[in-house]
Amino acid sequence: MKKIKKTIQLTVLHIFYIILCFLGLVPVLYAFSLSISESGGALSGGMSFFPEHPTFDNYYEIVVEEPFLLWFKNSMILSVGTMVLAISLAVTAAYAFSRYRYRGRRTVLNLLLLLNAFPQILSMFALFRLFKNIGLLNSRMGLIIIYAGSMCIFSIWNMKGYFDTIPVEIEEASKIDGANDFQMLYKIVMPLAMPAIIVTSVMVLIFVWNEYLFSTTFMLSEESYTLAGGLYQLQADDYSRSWPLFSAAAILVSLPILIIFFCIQKYMVSGLTAGGVKG
Amino acid sequence: MMKKMLCLMLSGIMAVTLLTGCGSGQGSKEEESVSKPQETGKEETADSEKEAVQTVTEPVEIKIWHDGDEAIMANIADTVNQALESKQISVSFEKKSGLTDQLQLYGNDAVNGPDMYFYAHDSLGTFVEMGILSPIKDLVDDSVFEGLLPMTVEAGTYKNTQYFMPVYFETLLFMYNKSLWEGAVPETTEELYAYMETHTDTTAGNYAVVNQHSTAYNVAPIINGFGGYIIDKDGNPGLDTKEMIEAVEYNKKFAALQADGDYNTVTTLFNEGKAAAIVGGPWLISGIKDAGIDLGIKSLADFKLPNGNGLAPFSGVQGVGVMKHAAEGKKDAISQVLVTLAGKEVGEILAISSNCAPANIEAYDNPAVADNEMIVAIKDTAQTAQPMPNIPEMSVMWGPAEGMLAAVNKSGEDVQTATQKYQQDALTAIEDMQ
Amino acid sequence: MKKRKNLIPWMQSMPALILIAVIILFPIFYTGYISLTNMNLYHWFDFEVIGLDNYKRALLKVDSGFLSALATTVVWTAVNMVLQVILAFFIALGLNTEGLKIGRIYKTLLMFPWAMPAYVSILLWKVGIYNTEFGLLNKILVSMGMEKVNFLSQNVPAFFSCMALNLWMALPFMIMTIDGALQSIDRSSYESAQLEGAGFWAKHLYITVPALRVVIAPAVIMTTFTTFKQFDIVYLLTMQKGSLSGASLQTIITYAHQNAFVSNNYGLSSAVSIIIFGFIILFSTWTNRGVKED
Repeated sequence: MKKIKKTIQLTVLHIFYIILCFLGLVPVLYAFSLSISESGGALSGGMSFFPEHPTFDNYYEIVVEEPFLLWFKNSMILSVGTMVLAISLAVTAAYAFSRYRYRGRRTVLNLLLLLNAFPQILSMFALFRLFKNIGLLNSRMGLIIIYAGSMCIFSIWNMKGYFDTIPVEIEEASKIDGANDFQMLYKIVMPLAMPAIIVTSVMVLIFVWNEYLFSTTFMLSEESYTLAGGLYQLQADDYSRSWPLFSAAAILVSLPILIIFFCIQKYMVSGLTAGGVKG
Repeated sequence: MMKKMLCLMLSGIMAVTLLTGCGSGQGSKEEESVSKPQETGKEETADSEKEAVQTVTEPVEIKIWHDGDEAIMANIADTVNQALESKQISVSFEKKSGLTDQLQLYGNDAVNGPDMYFYAHDSLGTFVEMGILSPIKDLVDDSVFEGLLPMTVEAGTYKNTQYFMPVYFETLLFMYNKSLWEGAVPETTEELYAYMETHTDTTAGNYAVVNQHSTAYNVAPIINGFGGYIIDKDGNPGLDTKEMIEAVEYNKKFAALQADGDYNTVTTLFNEGKAAAIVGGPWLISGIKDAGIDLGIKSLADFKLPNGNGLAPFSGVQGVGVMKHAAEGKKDAISQVLVTLAGKEVGEILAISSNCAPANIEAYDNPAVADNEMIVAIKDTAQTAQPMPNIPEMSVMWGPAEGMLAAVNKSGEDVQTATQKYQQDALTAIEDMQ
Repeated sequence: MKKRKNLIPWMQSMPALILIAVIILFPIFYTGYISLTNMNLYHWFDFEVIGLDNYKRALLKVDSGFLSALATTVVWTAVNMVLQVILAFFIALGLNTEGLKIGRIYKTLLMFPWAMPAYVSILLWKVGIYNTEFGLLNKILVSMGMEKVNFLSQNVPAFFSCMALNLWMALPFMIMTIDGALQSIDRSSYESAQLEGAGFWAKHLYITVPALRVVIAPAVIMTTFTTFKQFDIVYLLTMQKGSLSGASLQTIITYAHQNAFVSNNYGLSSAVSIIIFGFIILFSTWTNRGVKED
């Protein structure tokens, strides 16, 4: 009896998620159907989701004719670089904010939150002046610093919230076992906080992956654009805008993130459930 | 105790990471500048050139930023490079979206910024007031300007000084699909409207004529035809004038039969054979060709408004301006490039391969140019077309003007109220510039 | 000894704080400085400090238009956040049901909207969903024999259109955050609750929600700010240059953009930015009251 109930429950859930995924993916499917149609006759066609003469020419054209692979490489370097910098700084800071009680802690935390409220687009001009003076224009390192700085507050807050839930007793127990601080953070706290660290890293990664304003303003040549930046240039060109091409590029840009996301999910299970420590 | 020590160490490591981060940043910057010896080399030669006057043996590269069609720019670049090969001068075009914003940041940056920009003439005043452009009369002989259509030269003049070398120009045209259009194309706007009424079925998505009916540039033919203006020469907005109100009212009845009026919508409708005609410019040609449409063209000036005037579109002149630092540092190369750009060869190439109407008068002697239906139509239209205003105030007028048109055409706002409201907005926007 | 102990957390957070100072704090101060100058088109390089003049002018912009934009923004933020958190909560909860084997695939698919650059998604929706001629919604309407609707030409439908798009774009992150946070809840507390006979609602109301609150609070606060300063969606959907949709929906950021930034007057627009920043601070101290933190 219980088993039947469980099966029914699961079936209902499956149906719910299939519908949800479909609804959520309608715009993406639309883009996909556009991307495999020939230019012309693409938009105004009937209700069908599948073009009459599907073709992968648009994908081919993008990968071969646009500097897609170069942009892809730039995106990879920038997002991984930013992720490493932002997360390594933020993990230690978040750990300090979570574990120690000291004067000024709350003030700093709240201040960070307020600073984060400043619309970043307004910072462009100031950062431009600054970076021009210290020679970081047109350099990947410059962009990485900007991106990491932009995501740092978010990362600290997000991970601190999670660190707070990890019982201090775990650390104390391991301290008795003779673990030092370094080992503790990396061997005990970090694994426990894995879901939070991964969520935050992915957030940073996606932020950089999708950012285009700074990357097209601070990098000067077409070869140094990121995928999002290059695609932005493609679509901003009213003169040669081609919807099938654009949608193909949009799909191609999103795929790597999805693949990363899919692969990373198995690490998203917290050590807490496996660790057997009762809170 | 141990804990604290290690925390210290950890944060030390982090600090080092950050520092080396910055350090390697500078390192990679140095590497970059080292890896680009050619460019820096050129900068230096340009400088030394100034002192040593006329010993052009080292190659000079002129960097031009644009925000236009890559194919057109490639054509120009090839022609110029070929012509100036013997003089060791070359040009490179780089596409920059949001060129105006980019020039605000890079306009006076001799290292990272461009030497010239290639853009429409209406933003000229903005760049001049910012102080990044150099006058070009000293760089080229007066005879060069005499070889260009006077209208284009005028468009490149701001406060009685020539800052801009025109290369080609464009106007809106009436473009129709020959296999869809029934009968002759009308001679008056009223006949056109009658045709539209009988040949439009909005529910089925079939349209007679589409236009970006809420874009100021595309409504300008009617506004100018009624004697109205968006902004006058002294920078006074004219959104609430009697003529403007009439024009907006008149445009509104067309707009109701012209779909959404957004650029993507109207071009796609035309390219996919859902609209028999479109009001558009030469920039649509490549898309139309790809779609395999049998295209007919008629000058907008040939449509008479009820008041007897022809439709009078804006003309947009495309050309180059020279950055101050380049005019000082690379004077000779710049003037060579300017002369070549204004020359007959560039004009002919642009006309033949990209349907652009050249600013150079001699280019029209070439039969291939003179027989091009599109170029002839543009040139005819240019007789009555008005150059877009190039004063800086124009740049803040597009917003209010479009807001007004969209409010009237799309949200059904009353014309009187809308014109007054957006005139006020325009006045505030102009005031805010100071 | 005590002193040194107090220094440790500062040392640990210092690298991050320095980075934040350079990238976030410095631009705010710089904007503050520019707001005191007459930097505009006519004084692009030779600007000088002119005092509080720009603030006088900027405050004149705090008129009825600004206040209604502010009201719209508050409603926009509240509605979006409530819907986002509730929807994401139930979706994530379902995904964590024991026995749902291919949850991972669902999760990945649900992340798709997030993986797309924002402007790409917005353009896709604009043309593919809302457009009067090619949009899916209108195709459905026409096929059912109804009139075409311009979803973006009036303020109220435009508001909901923007909202639907915002939810589509923002839900994945919220789902992922809640999904991650759910992992932090000790399963054993459910077991004991079950033994005591707690049902679905009781279980989640008394165990899941309180446990989640602390963990997701930062993410929710951050998203609230992002929603508050949302610009892209409203701007690209309804007021992109060259394709105004007709709706005159304004949030405070679009209002500022339209009223100060197009004029290329950096002094004035910096003053407007600082004033808006002030409003955001007020707004956040107001919302922060709800979030308790030990």
